[in-house]
Amino acid sequence: MTTGSGLSSRVQRFFAEAIPLDWDALRTVGAEPVPYHLASWWWCLGGTPLYLFVVQVATGILLTFYYVPDPSGAYESVLKITQEVRFGWYLRSLHKWSANLMIVAVFLHMLRVFFTGAYRRPRQLNWCIGCGLLGCTLGFGFTGYSLIYEQLSFWGATVATNLVEALPLVGPPAALLMRGGAEVSGNTLTRFFVFHIGLLPTVMFALLVAHIVLIRLHGVTELEFRGKRVPASERTFPFWPHHASTELLIGVLLMFVLTVLALAAPAELGPKANPAVTPEHIQPEWYFFFSFRLLKLTSLKTSVYLTAALGAGMFLWPFLEEMLHRRLRMPRDVSVALGVLAFLGFLILTVWESWAG
Amino acid sequence: MSLNAKWVVIAVLSLFFLVALLLVGYRETLKHRAEEEPKAVVTGLNDGCVTCHRQHSAALVMQWEASRHAKIGIGCVECHQAKESEVDAWKHEGVWIASLVTPLDCSRCHQKEYEEFSRSHHARAGEIISSLDNVLALKIAGLPDNPADAVNGCWQCHGSIVKFKRDAQGQIERVGPEHKPVIDFTTWPNSGIGRLNPDGSKGSCHACHSRHEFQAKLSRSPENCGKCHMGPDHPQIEIYNESKHGIAFYANRAQMALDKNGSWILGKDYAAAPTCATCHISGFVTPTGEVQGNSHDVGERISWTLRPIVSTKLNLVRFDDGTQDDFPDTRALPDIGATVDTTEYVVENDQLVAKTVPRKVAKVMTWKDRRESMKGVCLNCHNHTYVDNFYQQYDSLVTLYNDKFAVPSKSIMDELTKEGLLNPKSPFGENLQWTFYELWHHEGRRARHGASMQGPDYTHWHGMYEVSKHFYTKFLPEVAELAERRGHGDEWKAKIAALLAKDEHVWKQGMTPEEAKALQRAYEQRYEEKTK
Repeated sequence: MTTGSGLSSRVQRFFAEAIPLDWDALRTVGAEPVPYHLASWWWCLGGTPLYLFVVQVATGILLTFYYVPDPSGAYESVLKITQEVRFGWYLRSLHKWSANLMIVAVFLHMLRVFFTGAYRRPRQLNWCIGCGLLGCTLGFGFTGYSLIYEQLSFWGATVATNLVEALPLVGPPAALLMRGGAEVSGNTLTRFFVFHIGLLPTVMFALLVAHIVLIRLHGVTELEFRGKRVPASERTFPFWPHHASTELLIGVLLMFVLTVLALAAPAELGPKANPAVTPEHIQPEWYFFFSFRLLKLTSLKTSVYLTAALGAGMFLWPFLEEMLHRRLRMPRDVSVALGVLAFLGFLILTVWESWAG
Repeated sequence: MSLNAKWVVIAVLSLFFLVALLLVGYRETLKHRAEEEPKAVVTGLNDGCVTCHRQHSAALVMQWEASRHAKIGIGCVECHQAKESEVDAWKHEGVWIASLVTPLDCSRCHQKEYEEFSRSHHARAGEIISSLDNVLALKIAGLPDNPADAVNGCWQCHGSIVKFKRDAQGQIERVGPEHKPVIDFTTWPNSGIGRLNPDGSKGSCHACHSRHEFQAKLSRSPENCGKCHMGPDHPQIEIYNESKHGIAFYANRAQMALDKNGSWILGKDYAAAPTCATCHISGFVTPTGEVQGNSHDVGERISWTLRPIVSTKLNLVRFDDGTQDDFPDTRALPDIGATVDTTEYVVENDQLVAKTVPRKVAKVMTWKDRRESMKGVCLNCHNHTYVDNFYQQYDSLVTLYNDKFAVPSKSIMDELTKEGLLNPKSPFGENLQWTFYELWHHEGRRARHGASMQGPDYTHWHGMYEVSKHFYTKFLPEVAELAERRGHGDEWKAKIAALLAKDEHVWKQGMTPEEAKALQRAYEQRYEEKTK
């Protein structure tokens, strides 16, 4: 506790009295040692989606000031945001690009976690929470794109809800819940709006808190690199200011990149949704390309079942791997091979759809 | 990376971000600057007018504020200013003005358009005052002291002689402390395109470019022309609406760039459809990429006249004073430099007076030159074969109408008049005269206009069908009836019989057995009914 008489000392004293926390203990938490490998840039992908999420929330709140969640005014309000509202195009572009970058960052973060085995005991639950966060992120992307209410997003929502409907047992009621009827309508738009600005942010926030709390409780996984011996004194470094400055650097870089993207490729708007006219060419957003290509290659049911099985497999993999290892003596390196296969499959289907779609 | 290096990178990146934000701000400024409508410029000269009229006629001021004139400081005084010596001038709030803005006033800035317009058919539309149409409205439909039909009808399109109320001494009556001249209500308001103005100029720019906003999109839209070019005697707007051109226009109005500032060029600014203005006034791109046309001389590209009883091809003779006359192809063309007696209608003592004015020929455009000029528009969308064949179709219809109905009926009417069976001083005294008038003035024109603008229904059912029906069932029987009544029955029965014996009328004697059989078969197949 400070005892000086200067202005900054008086301010510090005011807060120490007003908020009676153990500030010294907090300082200790802030200076928590971080494993040395986090000094490498590739190990900073966990903070990136969090940062982009904050950008999403901030721009999303501002966009909600102008957005009209009704089929008769949704498209027009987006048009107004894009064309008339001061800096509206910039906000919309930041929102769009940060959503896309967030999905990329989440994918990269999960790949890093998977291939470094950081999902294994005792961190299985945090992996599951991470999968939930991925689901939320994709849900944000899907519902947000549908809110624009342009022709492609409307028909994208139609295709996506049809896919959900094909799921066994839960499919039909889930599709009904999403659409608010037998087909995509004004009800769907209202529901997607509620999902996008109410349900998903709440769930995401809860999962994020759980995710970060678990990271802090478990501590960051300390990695061993073959052939690299690190002296004990260099195995960790303090969170503040070393890691915090890295995250700040990434944050500023991201804002710069997002602004450049907004300037170079601002968010556009296609023709207004017309439920009576099916466009010749329907395609979802790029992060659903793999599923859409799978649909084109197989049947509706096969592709939905396959996507659901892969999703469930990924979600439960820490437990499945443990079980297979114990019961069938499966070497743990098989996970790496499976992960490479799954990722390559995802990549090939995505690129295929983007080229041939 | 060391901690210090990271702080440096953060500082540099922050700088980059700041520059990017400045670019965002710059783009936003550009965007809104482009969207912001330039404001009306109220100059010191117009400040008093605008301030006062904003109270008394707010919408008028708002219309002006939305105009292109307002954006460049052209205000009330620039258009309404007048010299003290002008007949309609009065001193309003200390400034000499005239209520009436004439083409001569507009010519202060729009000299080229004024010259083109002044020599055009449009500027001479007021000369109808000396035609049969005016007799109909003033005499037949009107009262000696009530010309309301002409005032509210004919003159609102053709234009009136703008007159002032005068006292017993012939002086213009003036009212109020500012001595405002009193305009004769029968002659004003009037936006007729051939209005005869007190300053000697002819026409009204306001007819197409409605004051005070002067929107380009108005004069480019077919509805604007449709105010006058419609109805039983010249249904151009109805024909246009029926044509492929009209259909394309209404389906693609948003793609017509009707609101574009400045020039409006077919093949450059728009391509979706032609409007009336496209074919008769506006510019177009030629195959070599040049821009041609764009003239307020609305009849320049017309090669037939479809208005008279018998249509003729029209040559054009332009004189060295900028005026011009149509020369029917039945009249010999003068040489360049020759002096020709022309008729000019001028207003003297509030009456339209025809004067003979000798003029020197400066340029001759044959009907073929005029047609080539129109073809330049057509060729933007069609090939030569298409355009040439269209003109052959059109020519053949006009020739058919001329040869079969117009020339014989006119010669009958001329002969009846010559023989004294018709009174030339009473143009609508007999039923026959009404029938004949409608035959060429209404039905005959509909057929010819229909063919000229690709309106099939107007060419046939509203046109040639009516002409044929009335020629055989009304006109010829009424000729026979008149002749009988006037004691020349046998003579005219023989003349009519001789006419009907000609090949083109022989159908009245009945079809050949083969033709009758073919018709019966067609009806049986189509309607499952037997012809009698």
